[in-house]
Amino acid sequence: MHRRSFFQHLLEPSPVEQKSVTLPPLNLEKYAGPWTQAHAAHLLRRTVFGARYEDIKAFYNQGMDVSLSILTNISPVTDLPINYDFESDPNVPIGTSWVNKRFDPVNNTNNYRFRSLNGWTMGRLMAREMNLREKMTLFWHNHFPIADINEARYNFKYIDTFRQNPLGNFKDYTRKMTIDPAMLRYLNGNQNTKNAPNENYARELLELFTIGKGPIVGPGDYTHYTEEDVLAIAKVLTGWTDVGYRSPNLDIVTSTFRPNQHDTGTKKLSHRFNNVTINNGGAEEYKTLIDIIFNKEEVSRFIARKLYRWFVYYAIDESIENAVIAPLAQIIRDNDYEIKPAVIALLSSAHFYSDFGCMIKNPLDFIATATSQNGIVVAGDMVQQYTTWNAFFQFGSLLQMRYYGLPSVAGWKAYYQEPLYYQTWINSVTLPLRKSYTDALATLNLNTRGIRLDIDVLNTIKGFSNPADIESLINDVALVLFPKPLTEDQLATLKELMIPGLPDYEWTVEYEAHLAAPTDLVLRRAVEGKLRLLYAYMMKMPEYQLS
Amino acid sequence: MKRRTFIQTSSLMTLPVLLRGVEVTAIAKSSLASLVNPEDDRVLVLVQLNGGNDGLNTFIPLDQYDALVKARESILLPSSSVLKISDANGFHSALTGFEALYKNGQMSVVQSVGYPNQNRSHFRSTDIWTTASDAEQYISTGWLGRYFDLNYPGYPEGYPNEANPDPFAITLGFVVSETCQGQTSNYSFTVNSEEDIKTLNETVPGSTDGSCHSGELAYLRDVVRQTNAYSEQVLSAFDKGNNLVTYTEGNNLSQQLKIVANLISGGLKTKIYVVSQGGYDTHANQVVGGDAVNGEHSELLGVLGTAIQEFQNDLVALGVDNRVVGMTFSEFGRRIKANDSFGTDHGTAAPLFVFGSCVNAGIFGQNPQISDPIDPEEGVAMQYDFRSVYASLLMDWFRTPQSDIEKVLFKDFQRIPFLKDCAVSTATSELSKLGLVLSPNPASQHIVVQFDSNGGFTEIDVFDVRGYSIKSVSAQKFDKGQVKVSVGIDQLVPGMYFVRISQGGLFQPRNLSRYKLLVVKV
Repeated sequence: MHRRSFFQHLLEPSPVEQKSVTLPPLNLEKYAGPWTQAHAAHLLRRTVFGARYEDIKAFYNQGMDVSLSILTNISPVTDLPINYDFESDPNVPIGTSWVNKRFDPVNNTNNYRFRSLNGWTMGRLMAREMNLREKMTLFWHNHFPIADINEARYNFKYIDTFRQNPLGNFKDYTRKMTIDPAMLRYLNGNQNTKNAPNENYARELLELFTIGKGPIVGPGDYTHYTEEDVLAIAKVLTGWTDVGYRSPNLDIVTSTFRPNQHDTGTKKLSHRFNNVTINNGGAEEYKTLIDIIFNKEEVSRFIARKLYRWFVYYAIDESIENAVIAPLAQIIRDNDYEIKPAVIALLSSAHFYSDFGCMIKNPLDFIATATSQNGIVVAGDMVQQYTTWNAFFQFGSLLQMRYYGLPSVAGWKAYYQEPLYYQTWINSVTLPLRKSYTDALATLNLNTRGIRLDIDVLNTIKGFSNPADIESLINDVALVLFPKPLTEDQLATLKELMIPGLPDYEWTVEYEAHLAAPTDLVLRRAVEGKLRLLYAYMMKMPEYQLS
Repeated sequence: MKRRTFIQTSSLMTLPVLLRGVEVTAIAKSSLASLVNPEDDRVLVLVQLNGGNDGLNTFIPLDQYDALVKARESILLPSSSVLKISDANGFHSALTGFEALYKNGQMSVVQSVGYPNQNRSHFRSTDIWTTASDAEQYISTGWLGRYFDLNYPGYPEGYPNEANPDPFAITLGFVVSETCQGQTSNYSFTVNSEEDIKTLNETVPGSTDGSCHSGELAYLRDVVRQTNAYSEQVLSAFDKGNNLVTYTEGNNLSQQLKIVANLISGGLKTKIYVVSQGGYDTHANQVVGGDAVNGEHSELLGVLGTAIQEFQNDLVALGVDNRVVGMTFSEFGRRIKANDSFGTDHGTAAPLFVFGSCVNAGIFGQNPQISDPIDPEEGVAMQYDFRSVYASLLMDWFRTPQSDIEKVLFKDFQRIPFLKDCAVSTATSELSKLGLVLSPNPASQHIVVQFDSNGGFTEIDVFDVRGYSIKSVSAQKFDKGQVKVSVGIDQLVPGMYFVRISQGGLFQPRNLSRYKLLVVKV
């Protein structure tokens, strides 16, 4: 770029960022082109963690509509994190769940519960449930962040709101989060009283959770709301507090409204909310407030952009805003903030299928996908499973994505911080760590407490379309691992890696010899070694970081 | 520019011509960077304090102590615990490290640094600090990224190369610093620990078709290529360099700075290092109830002071201290009034600390004025724009030409002479006195601003207590001598306001800025 145009660009701040690359300007019209395996794989990569070849085949055969119906029909879960190793919790025998059991200060029952919660959470991510539960739960976790709430039950209660019904109603989630015990602590809502209003939650409710901050157009006026609104809303929310934090008496954590701490005056919002007044409504007052906020169309656009950055791409210019965000927001409003219709429309739109592989996998996606898509199952007994899941959880933290520990109330930077966005995840520290992880899965005989954690390459390729054919084999691996087909150069290089200087049929000969005598270790090792080399190399390719 | 620097620069520029065809590459390897950008191997260390540091409890204005007691008694350090460096100023008791540096002439304090129209969101305000934008301006490049863009066009394509074998910037930790975000790429290389420096395989590239897919792929390939190239350089500097003081174990900031000192002493030509310390968002439990000396803020400052002192001592011991200057920054200060949770909420300006053997040790600016009674919303009013600090570093430390400073920061800013000897500043070393008088005060219709003009371009602005610029009174040239300007205030709602005067030539250092408290009643 010429320096002059570079500076012109800088000197012309625009509320909608300008990116040189955006997706093609297709709109939210339903995709009507051919439904290929690549389309099925694209849909799966963006919606579940770790789809395998057979999943791609199934979605390909079912077509787009049936696939989306499977992905979005999500029933409640009953699975709970359990005490797998701690013998000193008088109220929770090993093998049972702690989520509704009081805290025991004598034995500090928090540490084991967090081990359990973290492990269980990772286990759910890696369970390869073929629907949107985990991706959407993580979406809401990113949208309504919490961090460092040092009471495991609070974290469970909070995440359970989303996990039970991950494609629910945005307005309803906002109501629940406003008085959620973990959120009350995270943003000091529990300290917000009539004599000492704390505006922390009120500010984030507007700026980050619902309507978003527009350009500053006057003192304290952020286009969509004003500082006056922050103060008034803080008063509306006075009186709420959480109950049960590290309590040795209470099994259930909850929140409660204390009328004597509530500001009973009339609150007046600014002209940004049409100067509306909110009369004292006691414990119901926050619902009135949320209705007022959600009457603003900007709320639907705000959440539509978040969904777009979560499922599609980060660059939103004016044409994307008009062609995609506006109609998506309209669907959200038409359905009174039910999210499911909007997600279905987005994931079946021409725009969604206009390009593949523009998203850098976030660390949890990367970790869970690399195992699940390649047939790795964390088996074993309860202790073995939880311990292994915890190891994956810790690795997620190292790669800068820790469940229940978001870096800030704005969520992970990858979903809001320009100009890097998804690229935030990748640098000279984290990329080598990702490489050592896939290398270990592909080539080492990884063993954690007797659990085999390497890719069972022979078993994995068995279901492929024609694994005895070298090109077909490599293309099928690429279908599972990469968002786009290999180039001819890439295919040639990978063949060279497998059968250096040999004709293609040499692979067929070796592979069929192994199939004919599966117990012959020499034949088996020859083929297995080549496959491990292939997987290790392909998972090191930058293409593998993309979804 | 200093004469010596000029001679160095010009002699380097003639060398390739003299030796053309003979040993150009040998020269290029060591000095081509200097040709592109006539600066030497100076290093700037940014210490980012995440969360918004409570400046009033960090560098305490003792002449305001009575008003502070009324505003924030629950969290205010007892005056007997303050580490006094003058009658009017002292450091928090945990900052023994800063006290020692200050007394050794290795630290300067810039008072009340912020920007007009303070934004109290962490993210937005951090963006403003890292991009050096106005509060209303959205910019995606960092200020140091733009500085590098000017000097190394085309980056990252073709980098590293023989002339620039080392990373331009290094961020300690797991994420790149947004200050170093350039137009197309981020200039900072992440280093977490020596063990984490690894190389990556280069794999067979796919097609580039201009899609977003190939855009993201190109980014990933650049990271691979640069990781490999820079890892080798960084590891080699690690091996060559060392540390000569003991850094406190368990002090995360110390450990980050230990790596920085090691790399500098090992000869790495990296210009910018970014280290960080989190936890300053002290809405609650900033101090232990009933014991304002202890608590979270005290612990944070203890870590900060110790780390920077150890680092500076190491640089001196290693003999590289004249090459290194450091500064702290945080997205905002906190409210003057304490909240009811033994904490403070998001505020406005705060002091900023510059350290190193080349600093002009001292206090720049006046103590903040704490009004009584205090508006619960009130933060410390801005006295210096943070971009004045950047402009001073660019000019006096990196010897950036005036025209480039305006490109990097979009306009010119007042220079603050916090660097000494090593500096080429044209800024005067002593701030002039303007003799600012406001009358009547309180007032209802208008006030008269009277001051002794030094002559030159003068800005007069009225700010409200949150730091919003609400009225620009004057932006014009005044002659030398006493000046009186009448300011109509009948439009303002009743409350407290500040008047700020800044004087100096438009492209000259503006060496003055003052606040006076003004109470308006209608």
